[in-house]
Amino acid sequence: MTCDRKRTKRPSVWLAALGWLLAAPVAAESVTELVAESGAESPAPTPLTVLTWGGAYEASQRQAYFAAFTDATGIPIRTVHYDGGLADLRRHLASGDVTWDLVDMVYADALAACDAGLLEPLPAELLAPSPTGVAAREDFLPGAITRCGVAHLVFSTVLAFDERAFPGVKPSSVADFFDLERFPGKRALRRVPVGLMEWALLSYQVPRQQLYNLLSTERGFDLAFRRLDQIRPHLRWWTSGDQPARWLEDGEVAMASGFNGRFFHAQVTRGAPITVIWDGQLLDYNSWTILRGSDQVAEAHRFIRHATRTEAMAALANRISYGPTRYSAQWRVGRHRASGVAMAPHLPTAPSHLSGAIDRDHDWYARTAGLRARRFEAWLKRDGEAQGDAD
Amino acid sequence: MPRHDSQQAVLRIVVVSALAVVVGSTASLAAIGFVEALHWLNDLLLVSPYARIQRADQPALVMLATVLVPTLGGLVVGLVVHRLVRERRGLAPPDAILAVQTRRPPPDFRSGLASTLAALLSLGAGASVGQYGPLVYLGSMFGALAGRLHLPVRNLRAIAIGCGVSAAIATAFNAPIAGLVFAHEVMLRHYSLRAFAPVTVAAAVGYVVANVFLHRPPLFQVSFAGVAHSYEFVLFAVEGVLCAGLAVAFVRLIQGSARLASRLSVPTWGRPALAGLGLGMVALWLPEVLGIGQETLRFATIEGAFGRTELALIVVAKLLVTALCLGFGFVGGVFSPALLIGILFGALYGLLLPELLPIPLSGQVVYAVCGMMALASSVIGAPLSTILIVFELTRSYDLTIAAMVAVVFANLVSYRVMGRSLFDLQLRQRHFDLSQGRDKAILGTHAVADYRVDDCILAWPDETVAGVQRRLGEGKRAEAMLVDDQRRYLGTLHLADLLTEPAAQPVAGLASPPALVFDERTSVWESMEQLPGFIGEAVPLLADDGRLLGVVPEEAVIRAYLEIIHDLRQEENEAA
Repeated sequence: MTCDRKRTKRPSVWLAALGWLLAAPVAAESVTELVAESGAESPAPTPLTVLTWGGAYEASQRQAYFAAFTDATGIPIRTVHYDGGLADLRRHLASGDVTWDLVDMVYADALAACDAGLLEPLPAELLAPSPTGVAAREDFLPGAITRCGVAHLVFSTVLAFDERAFPGVKPSSVADFFDLERFPGKRALRRVPVGLMEWALLSYQVPRQQLYNLLSTERGFDLAFRRLDQIRPHLRWWTSGDQPARWLEDGEVAMASGFNGRFFHAQVTRGAPITVIWDGQLLDYNSWTILRGSDQVAEAHRFIRHATRTEAMAALANRISYGPTRYSAQWRVGRHRASGVAMAPHLPTAPSHLSGAIDRDHDWYARTAGLRARRFEAWLKRDGEAQGDAD
Repeated sequence: MPRHDSQQAVLRIVVVSALAVVVGSTASLAAIGFVEALHWLNDLLLVSPYARIQRADQPALVMLATVLVPTLGGLVVGLVVHRLVRERRGLAPPDAILAVQTRRPPPDFRSGLASTLAALLSLGAGASVGQYGPLVYLGSMFGALAGRLHLPVRNLRAIAIGCGVSAAIATAFNAPIAGLVFAHEVMLRHYSLRAFAPVTVAAAVGYVVANVFLHRPPLFQVSFAGVAHSYEFVLFAVEGVLCAGLAVAFVRLIQGSARLASRLSVPTWGRPALAGLGLGMVALWLPEVLGIGQETLRFATIEGAFGRTELALIVVAKLLVTALCLGFGFVGGVFSPALLIGILFGALYGLLLPELLPIPLSGQVVYAVCGMMALASSVIGAPLSTILIVFELTRSYDLTIAAMVAVVFANLVSYRVMGRSLFDLQLRQRHFDLSQGRDKAILGTHAVADYRVDDCILAWPDETVAGVQRRLGEGKRAEAMLVDDQRRYLGTLHLADLLTEPAAQPVAGLASPPALVFDERTSVWESMEQLPGFIGEAVPLLADDGRLLGVVPEEAVIRAYLEIIHDLRQEENEAA
């Protein structure tokens, strides 16, 4: 029975792939012809607008995804800088003139935005099978494909330090981040209620499995913010993904949270003296989503299908240390394009890094967005008032 | 003969081991299913903080759920217990203990299932009751089911129940050694190898199911560097004594609440809803009292998580609502609430100590854990099991040694004040008194009526002295029982008294008043107690309406005693 099914499935897969290969150049050609004939007035293919995160990450995407897509389809890609969250999307939708098409969102944001009706649901048969014909549903990590999004990479938010700041004993755990006595120096954290509560609670020796249960109580939040109070006079907030690596590199802060890929990029391309603390790394996914009301939904579908092919995902992982979410792509990750460094030990999913990882609870994140934001802002406003007073 | 014996032994070992594996794995899976279902219900019904915070944007809904879920849950629990449980109350470890000790059949399986459902609903709706009592009973149910098999093993049911209980505890706490000791310490109350071997196998099976197949996370990880100062052991002992006081208060409150409930004019099935309403009201203001409180348990080990007044407040509130829930008929155990109250009290003790004593201490964690185990062990009367639970949960030798001291002192005091445990107190209310050991309790469950003889000499009031004398002579007896036409007992005629009376006189009026009579409920233990000072051949055994059912010769009482005691000793010393 299973053999039969495979046999019937394969040709259709190959047919689909063939059809797509044939169709794509034709479409692209026809567009160029049109452009040639009708001159200045012609409707040149409208660019797809992608919201993404800038810096080294966007540069890798440009090489691995955007250029290849434009080559294949003739559709140019325009990027708009995005730093996460739903607020920007809401504002843009409220303006009435929807010009954004694709959004590269973290998993919990994608869930929340989907629930809030900000995103287009994706068709079931959107994604291409693996080169060996394994259906996308089986080739992706469990849970990667959701109603409105396709998770395409695993990244993690990690703590890292400037090696020059600690010539003796090096920090090695989350608790060390909060230990100003043994490891003095400025700290940098992202100015969002993501990750910092978990790290603060971990510093009380709470087991990783219980983090989100404890953070579901007032007491958990209070404890976390009390811990953050202790380092508050030494805190600097970053908002854009490329800041923490730069600050560490320039010696402006001694320790910082940041996306693992950015730290990796600074290490291998610029030789920055940065070391990542994998303990307490907060695993997360980035998902491709389409903004509701986009007038290029069909093109956006084409882009997602193109960018989530095994080859494309492996190509990205060879440029920045984010792990692909398809098994077939994971097996194709090799050495870093520019420096020749083997990528596998730098991926968040390396087995030795997983033992201390926090498995981010995406449902919890999606449903506590408002509450976390309120509590975080309230804490930020309460400047310095609680310092030193633990009761 | 020896060959036959060893074949028998091998067969028995194989049968009993297979039984242990089957009962152990069933009980273990059932326990996991129960716990999973309970967490699912807690999330669904907005009892768990995890579910509540995800509805933080709808505070009205959360408030409504806080009050309505326990209230309506209580109503459903009340109806389930009233309609489906034959005993009309939640079944609990004492029922299993009774079945094991007296060898009487436990409540039937259907009632057990209904009671388990009621416990699941109670816990699911956030009632302040424990999960381990129902889990122990659930394990014992599967044991009792297997005990019905006709296998060539004496006391099969007791052994099988022990297996079910040990597997349930091994799974629930992820603590196989504690499971096996608990089954012996609380259920079987002896350590024969024949029971020990299968119970150990079942505990290991429970552990394998929980850890190897299903990868359940450890329940309670705390980091503790060790007891820093030797004088702290004195402080642990003092803490144990204080916890004993709290344990006695806890038990008395539960009993008082049950008495209060029985005096109310509310029907039995309506009472849990009333308790649920009370619980919900308290939870509006102090959400920590809802449910099992795993989060609160963890916070108690974190320094600075609670202030002193806050701790004291939660201890008192949790004591009161737990007593309310249990006394008013929610179905559940006492162990989890005792753990929570104990750890909060321990944390409070650890917080106050530095202010009372100007000496360095090892921090709050060890005092919190000591409090938790001391209180809980006093309530369930299982010091060994609780010490092992600490060891297996925390895997910390230092914590275990500290907790051991607190546990022992707590048990010393609480045993003196209230007896071994809440279970034993509940059994005593059902006239099964284990306070002086198994012998007395089991002698108390055997009716002396079972040892009566019927061939006594009867005499009627209008019979003549000579007639009775003649019949006594023929029967070679010295006593006759004087009865009326309805065979109602009037007194005992002694041959010695008849000898001096005229031969033709009717015997009416010659009987001596009864020195001692037994009835159908007189136990072997009571008959042994009353027998000293009794002069005569046999004690008359009367029905409630005064009819003579037979007599119990002195020899029969002694025979009954010897048989039962012999049987117990044999059970306790059986090899595999």
